[in-house]
Amino acid sequence: MESGTSIWERMGFRKSSGVAEAGWGHTLVVAGVSFIYFLPVLFIIFTAIKPQALALSVPPTLSPTSLFGLIPDQFVFTPTLENFGSVFSRVMTAGGQPEPTGFDRFFFNSIVIASVSVLLALVLGTLAAYGFSRYPLKGNDTYLFIILTTRMLPAIVVIIPVILMFRAAGLSGSYLGIIMLYTAFNLAFTIWMMKSFFDELSPDVEDAARIDGSSEIKVFLKICLPQVIAGLAATFVFGLILTWNEFLFALLLTGPDTRTVPVAMNQAVSSGGRGTDWTLLAAIETLFLIPVFLVTFFLQEHLLRGVTFGTVRK
Amino acid sequence: MGQVDGYALSLTNVSKSYGHVRALQNLSFSVAEGRFFVLFGPSSVGKTTTLRTIAGLVPPDRGRVEIFGKDWTHEPIAGRGVSMVFQSFALYPHLTVYENFAYPLVEAKLGREEIDRRVKETAAMLRLDTKLDRKPGTLSGGEQQRVALGRSLIRRPRVLLLDEPLTNLDAKLRHDMRAELKRLHRQFGLTIVYATPDELEALSMGEEIAVLRDGAVVQIGTPDELYETPRDVYVAGKIGSPHMNMIKGKLAPDGTTIESAIGTLRRKFNAAEAGEAAVIGIRPSDIRLAASGESGVAASIAMLEPLGDVTVVSVEAGGETLRMVLPESAASGLQPGQPASVVLDPGKFHVFRASSGQAIT
Repeated sequence: MESGTSIWERMGFRKSSGVAEAGWGHTLVVAGVSFIYFLPVLFIIFTAIKPQALALSVPPTLSPTSLFGLIPDQFVFTPTLENFGSVFSRVMTAGGQPEPTGFDRFFFNSIVIASVSVLLALVLGTLAAYGFSRYPLKGNDTYLFIILTTRMLPAIVVIIPVILMFRAAGLSGSYLGIIMLYTAFNLAFTIWMMKSFFDELSPDVEDAARIDGSSEIKVFLKICLPQVIAGLAATFVFGLILTWNEFLFALLLTGPDTRTVPVAMNQAVSSGGRGTDWTLLAAIETLFLIPVFLVTFFLQEHLLRGVTFGTVRK
Repeated sequence: MGQVDGYALSLTNVSKSYGHVRALQNLSFSVAEGRFFVLFGPSSVGKTTTLRTIAGLVPPDRGRVEIFGKDWTHEPIAGRGVSMVFQSFALYPHLTVYENFAYPLVEAKLGREEIDRRVKETAAMLRLDTKLDRKPGTLSGGEQQRVALGRSLIRRPRVLLLDEPLTNLDAKLRHDMRAELKRLHRQFGLTIVYATPDELEALSMGEEIAVLRDGAVVQIGTPDELYETPRDVYVAGKIGSPHMNMIKGKLAPDGTTIESAIGTLRRKFNAAEAGEAAVIGIRPSDIRLAASGESGVAASIAMLEPLGDVTVVSVEAGGETLRMVLPESAASGLQPGQPASVVLDPGKFHVFRASSGQAIT
């Protein structure tokens, strides 16, 4: 990570670039479209800081601030952090004391399961991709194709055989089981992504290292791997987003102790017979957004380079 | 060192195939220590494969590779004392110039101070001292080339392999780098094997040149030897610019003349060859305009290519096109279409058998 770049520069507000190239007109169009993209997320975040009573009010309250009088008072609500507290502890039965909801555990589960499985897939997948790229097997493409077949069907289709396999292996409800499953799914994605990055590297550079005295392992570690850091960052982020948000497998294959946030979220808001608690749901979602948001944000520099990598090299 | 024969490098009957493609076929040559040796031939004749075989990157299917008298045919890459500059330069893109230079020394487990000293020394020699912090991608082509050269020289190899190192540079830079390479060769007394498809590079730099065709050596010799006595039509056509004129003909039964489209040419040859179809080669510099009153071959001027102090003049004679190089003063005043009488220096004929292309002496 470069030192000395401020948070503003990271967000694209670099002194040198600004809007000089495209001009304000184009910038405003893109900003408008981006805002529309961001609107659902903004809506959720605002709902998370609304008083519970205003969640379904008519007319809807839209903003925690009047924006210096721009927004009429009936659309403005007073923000509260109460909902975030309710995520972890709230009154479950009428007239009772607040009880812990177990969401600290679910967040812990989500973080552990997603990061371990994505990192594991990254390590194994990168090694495999290097193998597929540099030491092709007979029928290399066939194996690559087969690896991807599990991702060709909707999860709902493959869930039945997977459940049967898990039951036979006694893996249902365990960390090991869900981590293995996510690792396997991420592997397919990682191998394909990383293979394309390795394919782009010049084999001459590796031969130069061999002549300079490097063993095959050093060629991989000191020459190839540093050149695909952008690819690793991109693969990590995309894998993390997919895994973090995965619902169906987590619903059917995790137990009470290993439950992830998407599953717990679903159960939290629909239990108790009081209808959906929208502000609670929004608060969970907002908290749930933060880890992936942070990871993506800090890897952004590498990510952007990752996507444009192929066009930079000769 | 154990070098019995004084050769730095010796390849014996080396063959290598990639699938059905035969890259090298019984390739043999030896390079004396300290020699600037050029592998010359058009693309895909096996120049790169030859260099990669010497470096140990490509194991040969058959044959033997010796470096300073030791058989390295099936030995690993490390320890050969051979380094290589790639056509693509193959710099480590993620490392700075300093780190690129240091890489082979780090791999050789040299001490940090020794590495630092040698990196700075090499950078100074190649005038890269101010670029040590830069990444290769930010350097110009010529600078990248010098980094590639420095990286291969820094661990003091005994044999340096250069694979078309100037191909990716512009014309001016090529000229400078040719001089630079010659200087480095003299300075270090290195044995250099230099692959190039460029005739000018081969002739101007090579002390000894191997002309390659289809993965085999056609002829090895000094630039003069290749120019004066090409072994066959292929070598004759590749060496020398403008290219040698080739005239179809037939060796007469009398053993002293050759019948050709442009008339009867006088040239002694072995009588056993009489009646053989032949190709007569004559260099453009060995043809001149007939002096007034001198008898010559009747021709007409087809085209003039002025090149400054000389002019390449193409003439038509008996259905053949002959090119000759005239001093600018002799060519001035000539016009296309104008008749001319030309004289071919009979002592400079190269006669080749038409069937095989081999030279007839």
